[in-house]
Amino acid sequence: MTHDDGLPNDPEGIRLMIHALVDGELDAAAALAVERRIAADPKLAAEHARIVALQGAVSRLPRPDVSDAFRARIAAIGTPTTEQQAPAEATEPPRGAPSALPGLIAGAGGGQRREAGTRPSQARPSPRARRFVSFDWRAMAASIMISAVLASGATQWVMQSGVDDGFAAAVASGHRRSLLAASPIDIVSSDRHTVKPWLDARIGVSPPAPDLAQDGFALIGGRVEVISGRPVPALVYRHREHLITLVAEPQQGGKTTKPDDLSSGGFSMVHWSDGAFSYWAISDMERPELDDFVARFRKAAV
Amino acid sequence: MSERALAERFNEVVLPHLGDALALARWLTGNAADAEDVVQDACIKAHAGIAGYAGGNARAWLLTIVRNTSYTWMARNRPRGMLAVGDLGDLDDMAAAHGTSLPDEDGPEASLIAKADTAALEAAIAALPPPFRETLVLRDINGLSYREISAMLAVPIGTVMSRLARARGLLASELGRAS
Repeated sequence: MTHDDGLPNDPEGIRLMIHALVDGELDAAAALAVERRIAADPKLAAEHARIVALQGAVSRLPRPDVSDAFRARIAAIGTPTTEQQAPAEATEPPRGAPSALPGLIAGAGGGQRREAGTRPSQARPSPRARRFVSFDWRAMAASIMISAVLASGATQWVMQSGVDDGFAAAVASGHRRSLLAASPIDIVSSDRHTVKPWLDARIGVSPPAPDLAQDGFALIGGRVEVISGRPVPALVYRHREHLITLVAEPQQGGKTTKPDDLSSGGFSMVHWSDGAFSYWAISDMERPELDDFVARFRKAAV
Repeated sequence: MSERALAERFNEVVLPHLGDALALARWLTGNAADAEDVVQDACIKAHAGIAGYAGGNARAWLLTIVRNTSYTWMARNRPRGMLAVGDLGDLDDMAAAHGTSLPDEDGPEASLIAKADTAALEAAIAALPPPFRETLVLRDINGLSYREISAMLAVPIGTVMSRLARARGLLASELGRAS
C-alpha cells in the first residue's frame, strides 16, 4: 500500500511519526496525515493507543519530593556566604540586610515549598504546556525573599561585633549551614565511643567528647568542618530545641585561654583553649546557657 | 552583574525546577539519596555558571547540567557497572536481546498498560538500557521537546526519535508480558 501524503512509507518510519504525533511534535498538516493513516489501519491505531497509554502511565509516576530542607540547602548556594565562597568571606564587605535567626529562614523556606511544591503535579497532564512554563512567579518571589534573608551573613554579624577573626566567621557560617542542612551531623550517635573513632578515622584527630546528657546537654553526633582550608572536628550537642556546635581546632602552641565571649546578633559564641585544642562553641541559645554548657564541658573534658 | 543580581537570577532560574532536577537525577543514578547529592553538585555548578546563562528554557539548561553532573558523579562513585556515555555501538544488540516485538492483540493491551502499577512500571524503566532510559525520562517525565533533548544529548533529532520509540517499545512489551 502506498500513500501520497508525504509521510514515510516504511513501517519503522510511520511508527516514529506516531510517536511524534503523541508527543505533539508534528505540525498541523503532518499531524492530520498521520491521523488519517491511523484511522485507516487498525494495527497503527493499536500502536497509537499503546503509546498514549504508556505515556500517560509514565507521566503519572510519583516524582521525588523536594523536601524543605533540601530546597533551603539549594537556596543557600545562591547566597554570598555559602561554602564555595568561604575563602573570600573574611574580606567581603557586609551586605545591607538585617540579620535573622535560622528559625525564620526555615519558616520562609517551608512556606515557599508548600506553594511551589504543588506546581509540578498540577502541571503534569500536559507536558507540552509545561514546556512553556519557565518560571513559577510565586516561588520566585518567595525565593527572592529567602535570598534577602540569607544574604545577611555571618560576615555582617562578625563585622558588627568587631571580631576580625576569619576563623570565628567560618565557625559561625558552618553552624548556620548545619541548621539549613538536611542533617546537622555526619555521624549520628550519642555514644562518644562511636563519634571519636569516626572523627579519628576521617581526619586523624578527635577532641574530648563527653556526653553531658545528665546535665541537659546531649551529644548527638559529629561532623567535619572545613575551615581555612583545613578539616577540623565539630561536635554537635543538643539542649532542649537548641543545637550547639562545638568546633575543636587542634592547637600548635599549647596556650590555655579563659572563655572569651564573642556573642552577637542572636547567636552566642564562646571561645577558649585548653592547650590541646582551641574550642569554639556557637548556638542560638542565650549566653548564660551557653556559658553553663562551656563550664560543664570544660569540667568534663579535663 | 552584581552579586545580588546573580543570586536572584540563580533563585529564579534554578529553584522552580528542583523537582524536575531530582526526578532526572533519580532516574540516571537509580537512587533518591544519590539524586540529592547530584542535584546539589549540579546547583553549585549552575551557580558558578549562572552569569553565562543566556536565557531561554531554564529547565532544559538546568537539566543539562544535572545530566552531565550525574555522569561525572557516577564515574567517580561507581566506576564499575556504568555504560560509558557515547558507547552506543551495541545498542541494537541490547535492544534485540530485550525483544521489541509486541503481542499482536490490539485493544486490551493499551488498557493493561494504562493500568500498570507504579512498581512494575518503575522497574521496567529502571531495566531499560541507559541511553533509552535517559531519552524516555527527558521526554515523558521531564517533558522536554525532541529539539531540547537533541541539543542536550548532542545527537540528531532522528536519533532522539528512534531511541524514544525503542524505549517505549521495550516498556510496552515488558508490561505486556508482566500482565
